[in-house]
Amino acid sequence: MNPVLGRRQLMLGGIAGTAAVGLGLSACSDGAGGGADGGEVTHMQFFLSGDANQGGGFAHMAAKYQEETGVEVEIVDVANEDLTTKLKNAALANDLPALARVGSIDATWKDVTMDLRDILDTNDVKSELAAIDPDGKVLSLPSDITAVGMFLNKTLFDAAGATYPAVGEEPWTWDGFTETIRSVQAATGASYGMVMDRSAHRLKAFLYEFGSNTFELVDGAFETNENTKPALEYFYALNDDSFMPRSVWLSDGDPNGLFKSGDVVAYCSGSWQIADFAVNIADFEWVSVYMPKQPVRVTNYGNAASIVVFEGTGQEQAALDFVNWLFTPENYTELSETSGFLPAVNGITVTYADNAEAFELYNEEIEASDEVAARLKTQDLEGEIEGRTLEGDPLRDETVKYLNDEQDVDTTIANIIELLNASL
Amino acid sequence: MMTKLRSYGPATLLLWVLVLIYLFPVAWFILSSFKPGSELFSLPLSILPENWTFSGYITAWNRFNFAQYFFNTGLVAVVTTVLTVFVSAMTGYALAKYKAKWLSIFFICILATTMLPTEVIMPSTFVVIRDLGLYNQLAGIIVPSIITATGIFMFRQYFKTVPDELLEAARIDGVGEIRAFFSIMLPLAKPIAVTLAIFSFQWRWNDYIWPLLVLNDPNRYTLQLALRSIVGADNIDWSVLLSASVISLIPMVILFFVFQKQIMNADMNSGLKD
Repeated sequence: MNPVLGRRQLMLGGIAGTAAVGLGLSACSDGAGGGADGGEVTHMQFFLSGDANQGGGFAHMAAKYQEETGVEVEIVDVANEDLTTKLKNAALANDLPALARVGSIDATWKDVTMDLRDILDTNDVKSELAAIDPDGKVLSLPSDITAVGMFLNKTLFDAAGATYPAVGEEPWTWDGFTETIRSVQAATGASYGMVMDRSAHRLKAFLYEFGSNTFELVDGAFETNENTKPALEYFYALNDDSFMPRSVWLSDGDPNGLFKSGDVVAYCSGSWQIADFAVNIADFEWVSVYMPKQPVRVTNYGNAASIVVFEGTGQEQAALDFVNWLFTPENYTELSETSGFLPAVNGITVTYADNAEAFELYNEEIEASDEVAARLKTQDLEGEIEGRTLEGDPLRDETVKYLNDEQDVDTTIANIIELLNASL
Repeated sequence: MMTKLRSYGPATLLLWVLVLIYLFPVAWFILSSFKPGSELFSLPLSILPENWTFSGYITAWNRFNFAQYFFNTGLVAVVTTVLTVFVSAMTGYALAKYKAKWLSIFFICILATTMLPTEVIMPSTFVVIRDLGLYNQLAGIIVPSIITATGIFMFRQYFKTVPDELLEAARIDGVGEIRAFFSIMLPLAKPIAVTLAIFSFQWRWNDYIWPLLVLNDPNRYTLQLALRSIVGADNIDWSVLLSASVISLIPMVILFFVFQKQIMNADMNSGLKD
């Protein structure tokens, strides 16, 4: 019988295996390019998510920075859902990158962030979107702003002869909006009237518009006002598998794909879709329009992400220099124009190459928004700074149960409050 | 044509139908990678691209350092597979052929590890890896993956079926333990070794969670880590993701054709007696 492997193969395999493990063991694990030993920093890592999908603005600015200063800022694009995990583990292994663009402040590393106060003040960054602790330390700066907004399939609207409020006109109400959408649906045979991302961020905008304050921390406990229940009931009625497909909220169907199919009249999503639609929709015309109000005119807006600089990397000053450079008006404008960002710096005029009117509409919506959105955003940031953590997303998860007839609306509201209070 | 179809039995026809059913999603996936983003969701859905384009491939190729990711993933998969097969074979042999009470208890302990989901032991494994200095090293994803209870169990069950007389005869002839294992037992267990190698290679090639936790340096990323970075917060660049996924499959497809015979014969029960 022949052996599985000859002696020579065994030896080679053994040597290869040992060498590979040895190489891995002996390889340098320092992602830094100096600095840790007090030397000059030539390379640092910037962890973020979705830059390539959003025009590659950060990569573009990093290349420009290297040209100007010789310092390489390596953009490490991590899947959005995994960025939190990755940074947590990096913190546990004492191997944090020089800086990161994060969705929220995490308790694991919030105490090892640099104070970004000087950069905030020097460049007039929107302070209401920065995470500032009670001592005045600025833990993070908003990298850009996103806002919830409504997209329409203009081709279907035109085919049905329907109209929507143009820029400068009075926005529609949810009652008027749904009536119009249903008429377009009936006239064109579209499968669905509207899709909405399965997200608390989008649902909050909807609730605000009905006069709800969603769930607000008052005197040490979460509460909501009397407008939340009717708003949730209204949302339940919309999810009837005709106006809205139940599959999106109940089984994570893809609203983006459904809207792109051309078979849906409206899509409640946000400003980050503009760049995607510009490239990936060719079969029909789409348009950004005002969010409906009932009666409150508001959109849910805030920092799409925040920039933090980590302590203990030996590259703190180099990272601060880069962030400061990034937020200067000229560079920040270039970043916003490249990535299609709504600016998080005051006094910036961004000239968008494509779909300028859509971005303009979002800026107008933010400007006209009721103060409830900013108030609740501040509350969220305070929660992050205090290190409040939640299992899942109570608003979204409990609403899904309500839509699925697992519980009634009163139980839904009570459960959300209970889960939020448990995080205190 | 009809005559040809009639010459097939109903079972063959049924199998052909199954082949087509299985082939459909794969064919659609590959053909979709040649569609521009604006065609991917168009209604009515079309199998063939209206406008063939390589833009997704070009973007994917320019965006990702595929050579580096193939090398990292290949290195991890090959080294882990080789070590897994040897360690599992040796452990399985010891558990099958050496008599000691503690060995039985040890075997039960190994089996017990299969009752815990991997995610449960990940935090502890991470701390061990970190304290051993293996964080952000390829060795950090190789070492914890070497021992698999499944592999050990397969070899133990197989070696139990090999008559003890064979080993005793070899020992009488003056063959040492190491040589007996490598020259007699391991060649006998070739079907098990090949089966485990195939499974191990696939497991390691497709690993995602553990490399995500351990690897911090993009130059050490495996293919799966790199591909997943295309998934953004609220939208996905499908044309790039599809093209990159097709590219990432090519090495596995080549391997399949090279080792087609072994893979087709790879059966969890091969070499095992009922």
